[in-house]
Amino acid sequence: MKIKKILACILTLIMTVSLLAGCKGKDKEASNGGDSNGEVEEIKWMFWDDLTATEDLISLGYAKVLERFNETYKGKYHVTPITTNLEEYDTKLNALIAAKDTPDVFICNPGPNLTQYVESGVAADLTDILQNQEKEWYDSFTEGIFERLIYDGKIYAVPTNFAAALVFYNTEMFKAAGVEVPTTFTEWIDVCQKLKDAGYTPIACSAGTAWCLSMIAGYLCDRAGGPDNLKGVNEGTLDWTSESFITAGEKLVELSKYFQETAAGDSNDQATAMFYNGEAAMLVQGSWAIGQMNGANPEIEDKCGVFNFPALEGGADPHRMIVKTDNLVMSSTTKHQEAAIALMKCFTDETAQKYTAEVGGKIPVINVDFDKEKAPAQLSYVMDILSESTGTLGFYNESLASVEAGDTFDNAMVDLFLGSLTPEQAFQQVQDFYEENVWNK
Amino acid sequence: MDKIYRNKAAIIIFIAPAFILFTLVLLVPIIQAFYYSLCDWNALTQPKFIGFDNFIKLFTNDQTMKFAVKNSLFFMIFSVVTQQFTGLLLAALLTNIKWGRNLFKNIYYLPAVLSSAALGLLWSFLFNPKMGVNQLLAKFGIKGPLWLMDSDGYIVLGMWVIGFVALWQYVGTTMMLYMAQITGISKSLYEASYIDGANKVKSFRYITLPLIKPMIATTLSLNCIGSLKFFDLVYNMTQGGPNHRTDVLATHLYFQGFQYFKYGYASAIGVVLLIMCIIVTLIINRLFKSEAYEG
Repeated sequence: MKIKKILACILTLIMTVSLLAGCKGKDKEASNGGDSNGEVEEIKWMFWDDLTATEDLISLGYAKVLERFNETYKGKYHVTPITTNLEEYDTKLNALIAAKDTPDVFICNPGPNLTQYVESGVAADLTDILQNQEKEWYDSFTEGIFERLIYDGKIYAVPTNFAAALVFYNTEMFKAAGVEVPTTFTEWIDVCQKLKDAGYTPIACSAGTAWCLSMIAGYLCDRAGGPDNLKGVNEGTLDWTSESFITAGEKLVELSKYFQETAAGDSNDQATAMFYNGEAAMLVQGSWAIGQMNGANPEIEDKCGVFNFPALEGGADPHRMIVKTDNLVMSSTTKHQEAAIALMKCFTDETAQKYTAEVGGKIPVINVDFDKEKAPAQLSYVMDILSESTGTLGFYNESLASVEAGDTFDNAMVDLFLGSLTPEQAFQQVQDFYEENVWNK
Repeated sequence: MDKIYRNKAAIIIFIAPAFILFTLVLLVPIIQAFYYSLCDWNALTQPKFIGFDNFIKLFTNDQTMKFAVKNSLFFMIFSVVTQQFTGLLLAALLTNIKWGRNLFKNIYYLPAVLSSAALGLLWSFLFNPKMGVNQLLAKFGIKGPLWLMDSDGYIVLGMWVIGFVALWQYVGTTMMLYMAQITGISKSLYEASYIDGANKVKSFRYITLPLIKPMIATTLSLNCIGSLKFFDLVYNMTQGGPNHRTDVLATHLYFQGFQYFKYGYASAIGVVLLIMCIIVTLIINRLFKSEAYEG
């Protein structure tokens, strides 16, 4: 009995001491901030993919950047990644922010996501750093790349790569069906019909992954009404039920007749696979899918063409393109600003940006001479089309008032596609959401 | 030992750990949730008190909430009816067979020990138009429906499919509980009934059913509360889609809270869910008030 008592006392003591030791460790870490005092400054970077398990070439490139950063600044700075899967990213990031444990640098989508961090003061204002302290770095970026990252004239994020959405097509199938690349919507429908008559599935699309369908809907909305459409609804000067949106809705229904039969339930990956496996003639996708397509089926590279989203007759400027950047945000509360800046510079230096183009198939954000021979063939087609573009816009669902507004748009488009709502009813749903949650606030 | 139970200090020390833990991880968060349900709060900025606005919006101006309440109630009724019936039937059959009782018991119970997330994914593959069920139907020349994406009807097809999968997953649990209760009934009661000329069906009706009444209350409560707060299969199979038609209360709460960061609004949904669970439990307890059988 006595031995037991003594043992219990010792165990309790050990546990208490270990608890205290744990607290002390944290204290020490916390007081470590500010200048380095000859010790290694530790920073955290948060990302939406598992860097060790991923096959995504862009993610693997990010992993290389981290390695290079830790190597270059050995003994001075060290970065540790915090990774999650894409679906849980926002939730986990917000939990960390709410717990006052914001990662020093984290990746972020443009649009309402970034707005949220800017408005709550989580994102650091980078204007002074970019335009004065690190002018050389700022000047290396391509023109206009910061456009969607500026709020009230202040820059809140740094882009790491850039991709545009367009129509990929199978040149062999086009040849077999005797059709040419369409430039207008009517021609496009005609091409689809001929492909269908020749026994091909004209377009692979996923309505199971709502944003894929919504991307086509967004393009149609922009082709119908131009930049005024997005601007108008977000400022409250244009109704979602106005004619150009309804036209876009009608065109979406018309086009969707040429999707594969299982489009309603197929996921993005399934639809993309249909295209690169030669089961469908066209795919409306972002150029970020180039790496995925060529990685999964290298043969597609030679027979894959690209064309810009066709124009709507009587509609707006047909040369505008949906583009998207991946962006880095620095925490406004970071104690290791210099290390964080150094890391962001690593993501956008020549080595990283060359990799982005040559291996990842995405468009670099700085003016860099990459080896066009090494880069995927589709990338140069994309860049050719991009060079003729007259303007850019974000994903429709990422350009609306909030994440929820974007989802409302996505869901209404899926309903429209499924045939359970008419174009008028579908856009009335978005209109109702805006009247309730956006314009009246 | 008796002496120690009369010592007030000892009582307090014994109760303290459980009490503190219960207060910290359950009571405090529940009270906090009540408070946040009266606030406009996105977790990044300070909560702003807005009174009952969240609840007013929830009941007067939220289409998804209508879907969610409808689906949650449907799911509860569907689960209760199917699980009680099938669970009791399986339990009665298994307690009456001589060979293979343990084998079948384990087979029926197996889905309950698997992860819901994995099962949700598995079943969503089975109901995907490109694989699984529809491919099988196509072999017989039948064009299968869009199991999870169909948008017609008052209760969409997706909810029936999820209800079926939930039945498959959880019927084993209900069965186990009933089996435990049935095997606890004294054999002599059955023997007496057989001597009096009762057959198997009659002895089930007049002996088994009345004596498992307390367990009916337990399984009913478990079924009802479990299905009201049901989340994982819905999230993994349809994510509430198409256009919220398969949203239930828990997924609506999740999307509002963790996707749109409207924590105040999500807390209000949580409060409604809690109140619904309490009401259902009270009704069941009132209906099935009975003394435990001393066998």
